[in-house]
Amino acid sequence: MLDQAFETLKTYDWGTDRNLLNPIDEAIVASQADPAARRGLEGRLVAVLKTDVTRAAKDFVCRALMILGTADSVPALAALLAEPEQSHMARYALERITAPEAAQAMRDALPKLDGQMKIGVIGSLGARRDVASVPALAALLGDTDTAIARSAALALGAIGTPAAAKALMRTKPTSAEAASAVTDAALDCAEGLLAAGKSVEALAVYKRFAGEDQPKHVRLAATRGMLACAGK
Amino acid sequence: MGHFSNTTRRDFLKAASAALTVPYVITSTALGNEDVPPASDRIVMGGIGIGNMGRGDQDAFLGRQDVQYVAVCDVREEERDKAKAKTDKHYQNSDCQAYNDFREMLARADIDAVHVATPDHWHAIIVIEACRSGKDVYCQKPETLTLREGPLMIEATRRYARVVSGGSQRVLEDYRETVDKCWGGELGTIQWINVNVGPLSQPCNLAPEEIPPGMDWNMWLGPAPWAPYNKARCDGNFGTSGNSWRSYMDYSGGGMTDWGAHHFGGATFAVDVREQQPEEIVYHDENGQKYLEYRYANGLLICHNRPDTGNLQVEGTPDEKLPPKPVPAYKGSGGIYGDFIECVKTRERPFRDIELAVNTVALSHLGIIAYRLQRSLKWDPAKQEFPGDEEANRFLDRARREPWQL
Repeated sequence: MLDQAFETLKTYDWGTDRNLLNPIDEAIVASQADPAARRGLEGRLVAVLKTDVTRAAKDFVCRALMILGTADSVPALAALLAEPEQSHMARYALERITAPEAAQAMRDALPKLDGQMKIGVIGSLGARRDVASVPALAALLGDTDTAIARSAALALGAIGTPAAAKALMRTKPTSAEAASAVTDAALDCAEGLLAAGKSVEALAVYKRFAGEDQPKHVRLAATRGMLACAGK
Repeated sequence: MGHFSNTTRRDFLKAASAALTVPYVITSTALGNEDVPPASDRIVMGGIGIGNMGRGDQDAFLGRQDVQYVAVCDVREEERDKAKAKTDKHYQNSDCQAYNDFREMLARADIDAVHVATPDHWHAIIVIEACRSGKDVYCQKPETLTLREGPLMIEATRRYARVVSGGSQRVLEDYRETVDKCWGGELGTIQWINVNVGPLSQPCNLAPEEIPPGMDWNMWLGPAPWAPYNKARCDGNFGTSGNSWRSYMDYSGGGMTDWGAHHFGGATFAVDVREQQPEEIVYHDENGQKYLEYRYANGLLICHNRPDTGNLQVEGTPDEKLPPKPVPAYKGSGGIYGDFIECVKTRERPFRDIELAVNTVALSHLGIIAYRLQRSLKWDPAKQEFPGDEEANRFLDRARREPWQL
């Protein structure tokens, strides 16, 4: 049954009976406590990814690798990050694979990508709260593509380290979309700083957003933060 | 990767939002007339995702004299045109603006609040972006698609001191007898309560069909993986057996989340664990009959599909009566919608405050993961993770299709 399911993958396309792949799903669940079986499954799935199968088949494989992928899957997935039709599903696996190689692969891909695929990788690094990507993300805050700048800001907010906060405080957004993201991300960082006992650093962030030039809800958030920094 | 890993941070958000809640100052410039309250007493609203449940939500808000409804948004031209026409007919003008992209609506400074009834895979992104834009939100249930989304929605709500209500009216209205017995002390100390609901959503591999005119398919998919258009993939009917988006895991948790939001919501309300999440999910497979027990820190159990047990059946210790507690109720008038609007005015937390709604849908998501992995799980509510369980933790979230992120 399992062999037949892998055979199906060779011609699998949108509209093919999805149940034909169920033996692979079942093997994934059954192998939770069997590392050797897992490695075998992973190897077979990665091998499919390297062949000229359809987008639907690669979609299925990436979903499976999201569950069981290890560092061994990373090179094949990373190779798809620059493919417009595959980039998201490659991240679908890479974002959830805990091996550090997965984050490294996305960091390595970042300078080679642009547009939507770059934004996707930025988002995944943020979702992973990947501290090592802070310098690269900080450099993107001033990107001329405001969508990239916005995405980098949100990712830095999710990571939330003091270095991320500093980068957000230094930047001067050039669009309303990026400005909103920088504000939210900086407030996100400030909450983390405050929780970590760094009230001086947090207060500096809150003060920046407490002015009359800010929207009312932002001023409210900043004021509340300043009160919290003062222990009130 | 849990965003709630620092409980001090969460405590700050809770304390801060409670410490500085100010009366609402209307931002609308909408004009009044003789039949409706003046602009300063009306909430200016728009609706995002305006078919099916969104249509009902729109009707409810449109019918309120303390609401000025000014905008509709849907990725289906036909639906948004119908919703605009309905609004314009109601007000006998042509002022309602129709949008394909919710971000354009959220950018409007004159809108105070929005209701959201898109498919579930859009909820978190829209709710969080609405909070960043200073809007209050009424979001249809189930409010989340993944476990990670919930804490981020709560954080955005608290950060900007927004009023964000979940959307299950049944929590308060459908299980009243059980709620009254539990809160009234008649059943003594509650041991367990059972919820019967399902099924789980499934993978989707429907064949491509031609995209109908006026449908922005890319925007419908949004953060979900790309897939070819098929009517059954995106139909908004309430089925969960393959002919609707509620059937498919990229957009929904299936009946487990869709009706689960109602039943688990009713159960957590009845036994008063709305503010908690369980610490363990015990998976049972007895001769192919699969069911769950959610174990709370206080010893209480919520069962899912317990054999030979009715929905919302509850077991207590009726020989030891407890003193009654007052049952929480909606504020304002007009059911759950009125509760939301009243809270927008007063800045109180609504009956289905987002945190309570998130705790409810978390039960559905935790259960789905246990069923998919076919084993029991430990859960750390504070850290929002499965301790030491890397495989289960992979199901906390999913990578979103570019350019969408939380």
